[in-house]
Amino acid sequence: MIPLLKRLGLNSYDVDKSPHIEADTEKCVKCQEKPCIASCPAGTYERSPNGGIVVHYERCLECGGALVICPFNAIRFKFPKGGVKYKYG
Amino acid sequence: MSFDAELIIVGGGLAGLSAGITATRLGINAILLERGEYSGSKNVSGGRIYVHSLVKLIPEALEEAPLEREIEKETFEFYCGEKKVTFSFEEKGKRNSFSVLRAKLDSWLAKRAEEAGLLISYSTLVLGAERESEGITLKTNRGQLTAPLVIDASGVTSVVFRSLGLRKFSPEKWMLGVKEVVKGQPTQGEARVIVGAVKGIKGGGFVYANRDTFSVGVTATYDSLPRAEVPAYDLVEKFRERVGVEGEVLEYSAHAIPYYGYGNLPSLTGRNLMAVGDSAGFLINDGFTIRGMDLAIASGMMAGIASKKVIDSGNFNDTSIYEALLRESFILRHLELAYNRFKLINSPHFLSSYPEILCQLLSDMFSVGEERRSLLEDTILRLKERGITIGRAIEDVWGFVR
Ligand SMILES: Cc1cc2nc3c(=O)[nH]c(=O)nc-3n(C[C@H](O)[C@H](O)[C@H](O)COP(=O)(O)OP(=O)(O)OC[C@H]3O[C@@H](n4cnc5c(N)ncnc54)[C@H](O)[C@@H]3O)c2cc1C
Ligand code: SF4
Repeated sequence: MIPLLKRLGLNSYDVDKSPHIEADTEKCVKCQEKPCIASCPAGTYERSPNGGIVVHYERCLECGGALVICPFNAIRFKFPKGGVKYKYG
Repeated sequence: MSFDAELIIVGGGLAGLSAGITATRLGINAILLERGEYSGSKNVSGGRIYVHSLVKLIPEALEEAPLEREIEKETFEFYCGEKKVTFSFEEKGKRNSFSVLRAKLDSWLAKRAEEAGLLISYSTLVLGAERESEGITLKTNRGQLTAPLVIDASGVTSVVFRSLGLRKFSPEKWMLGVKEVVKGQPTQGEARVIVGAVKGIKGGGFVYANRDTFSVGVTATYDSLPRAEVPAYDLVEKFRERVGVEGEVLEYSAHAIPYYGYGNLPSLTGRNLMAVGDSAGFLINDGFTIRGMDLAIASGMMAGIASKKVIDSGNFNDTSIYEALLRESFILRHLELAYNRFKLINSPHFLSSYPEILCQLLSDMFSVGEERRSLLEDTILRLKERGITIGRAIEDVWGFVR
């Protein structure tokens, strides 16, 4: 089993990075009602001046809500290169 | 083709860990992949666990698990504007359910799993899955892994089923749960279930007493959120205010919850594949309780047992043994039993009309003026006001108790 862990490049308690969300602004069609804004419990999305959304990645709790609520699949979980650390439990 | 393991479990919540412990005990070479830094770092739960499954998995659990308080008092509260109906029930020494904090419980269970010999790979996010060489290959942020058998325990997002095209996201089949842990001094283990405290949402709220904190939260269907009186990020705040829980907020978290109901359960198995816990849609929400944890543990255990049978048979195309085990167990039976209530609380007026009628009846009963009707007359009148026939009401009440 140890070689397998090595292949994955980790020891059991490796903690440097954390998965996060990614918004694909190309896919965002700027819906009028913006379900992502209404339903995100963390206030991750805000209306942008051009009718689209501004994403505050650092607020995301990774609850999975916006993934399901966006009808155009513009939001998904992502493992960011920079390693944004999530904040809450 | 050589596989990386006989079994890969995706997700180290209660369901995945229970599957891992069971499979490892049966001698299966399994690996569990968890995106969080530790088990429990990403799991959210209101925090009341019915312990029967946990005790089956770990017989010493009542002594050793980090449980908070035994629930001895149940309180139901219906809000209707300025009125409120409350009823409570107390029973001591039952040891049937406990308040619990998931960060503690899941990491404790993960430790037990590692002691049993399960390999857990943390900070490992499964990004996608493909069928390949008689098995399933999982793409992760750390590379690829292939196994002939996979258990999807990734919670409501069901990453493996989705990647293989076996599930779609559908907002009407999910609920949002938001929760705060608030500092406080509970005097006894109490579970409060509250309906109607936040206007516009379809769902309810809860307050559970822990050792020295309260878990306070709200669940709401996604389609009702845009119409709620407050945006999602203010739900708990508003709710706390209404139900009178004050104190320093120590933690804020949220999670999506499955909301399928027995009649709409998604696929539970596929070739080389089984779904457990939230990923299988195993959640009971009957207006009074939210129950997912005991179902997650029990379904995980069953998938662990089924893995052994599938691996021994060598036929990875047929995982139906898992569904057979579920059918024999309490899991599908309880989900089916709860389905009547599930349908009722989804009827457009159930959670609003009946509590309001009850409030009105009680208000009439406790007000004295010159006008006075018998309870029966008053009931008929109040139902009529809301366009509900007696027959309909009897049918609904029957559906609820059945
Ligand atoms: C607010 C709220 C209140 C609730 N109240 C109660 C209650 O009082 N009682 C009760 O019994 N139930 C309650 N529930 C339901 C209960 O929390 C769930 O049913 C239970 O957590 C399901 O366990 P699980 O292991 O299936 O899923 P989860 O606990 O969601 O675990 C899934 C795991 O998979 C990991 N994961 C997800 N995606 C990936 C990926 N792509 N790669 C790797 N890992 C991944 C996650 O990090 C997580 O650890 C509540 C839920 C909420 C949100
Ligand atoms: S996952 Fe939850 S917290 Fe994160 S952006 Fe989506 S809705 Fe907001």
